[in-house]
Amino acid sequence: MNVKEYIQSGVVESYVLGVATEAERQEFEQLCAANPEIVEARDSFERSLEIQLMQDAIQPPAFLKDKIQQQIVSVGSTVYQQEEIEEAPVRRMNIWRALAAACFIGLLGVGYWAYNTNQKYNDVVARQSTIEKELQQKNTELAALEQDASMMQKPGIKVAALKGTPNAPQALTTIFWDSTNKNVYLLVNNLPQPASEKQYQLWALLDGKPIDLGMLELQQNRLLVKMKNVHNAQAFAITLEPKGGSVNPTMTAMYVVGNL
Amino acid sequence: MGTKQIYEERELVTALRSKDDQAFGYLYDHYSGALYSVVKQVVGDTEVSNDVLQETFVNIWRKIELYDESKGRLFTWMLNIARNAAIDKTRSKGFQQSSKLQPINETDGAYATVKPGVDDYGLKRLLFKLKEEHRLLIDLSYYQGYTHEQISKALAIPLGTVKTRIRTALSQLRTLLQ
Repeated sequence: MNVKEYIQSGVVESYVLGVATEAERQEFEQLCAANPEIVEARDSFERSLEIQLMQDAIQPPAFLKDKIQQQIVSVGSTVYQQEEIEEAPVRRMNIWRALAAACFIGLLGVGYWAYNTNQKYNDVVARQSTIEKELQQKNTELAALEQDASMMQKPGIKVAALKGTPNAPQALTTIFWDSTNKNVYLLVNNLPQPASEKQYQLWALLDGKPIDLGMLELQQNRLLVKMKNVHNAQAFAITLEPKGGSVNPTMTAMYVVGNL
Repeated sequence: MGTKQIYEERELVTALRSKDDQAFGYLYDHYSGALYSVVKQVVGDTEVSNDVLQETFVNIWRKIELYDESKGRLFTWMLNIARNAAIDKTRSKGFQQSSKLQPINETDGAYATVKPGVDDYGLKRLLFKLKEEHRLLIDLSYYQGYTHEQISKALAIPLGTVKTRIRTALSQLRTLLQ
């Protein structure tokens, strides 16, 4: 490369005046490091430019110096500290953001926990209410059974075992007759399931005559079924009758019979 | 005298780096006029020139650590800070709305902000001694801050020609300065 030509190409002026391209600038700085003539040419142009511009100086308004100096003082000796301060709010922002995020996540957690707990609470309340109902029902049933049991142990109770006829040899029922108030209770030990249009009917037998003691409504969870009262009886029998019962028992359809 | 000036400049830079207010006062008294002149050549308007000069000196104060003696004189470094601050200002929205500065484009023939008699001082005065084609390129690149590529596109001149003409124009400027 011809250094002289390079110096006279106008690149020195481009560089100094700041209109050189980035590539030209880098090349120029590299060449300066190796060629004192180029540095000399640069310095020479800088000086003549400086002299010219100093001659052309226009004084700025006087108030500007104070204004600038005041700003220098406030910006001034704390340049580096200011850079640290500039960073600090960013960190602070991050802490607040992190806190906010943590709070939000925490809130979500609490929300989920509350929702979950509420769900469980609702479940527990529902179950408790079911259990209470069941308990109440069982208590009622138990009370009824106790009532039935105490009935069987009552003084003045007479018991008749009604045994199966050839219609149903395995059938067995028990009659509890309260001789004081004449109440009749039936305990079904074993009776075949009647056809849907048929129903069992209880009869008392007194002096060879049948007395209707009512239709047997089979009840779950009860030992005894209360039947109609009867003042006196020598025997009891159960026949299978059409639904609603008959005036006179169908003797061929007798299932159990027994004396008091 | 030359060695004394270099010494003074070094001393001044050292003092500025240690954030010496008095050194700053000296710097301002010594150079503000020359820099103000350059700023005014770019932005024109006086009040805006004041703002740009203030920005320039605040930047010099803050960025003095970045000044590299091996790359040029302190004045050259400050001159470029002033010129860049001024060009930045002319490109700001507020400035463009309040001035007649036209963006560079092909349909508009009046690229040059240089008008004889209005602001014929400093380097601009020297520009009128250049050929028209050279003067325009210096104006666009130096005073308006357009890149060689932007000028090439806008004026439909090959990039190589733009570079050559700018360099030629600048070497002529140098002759005029000496």
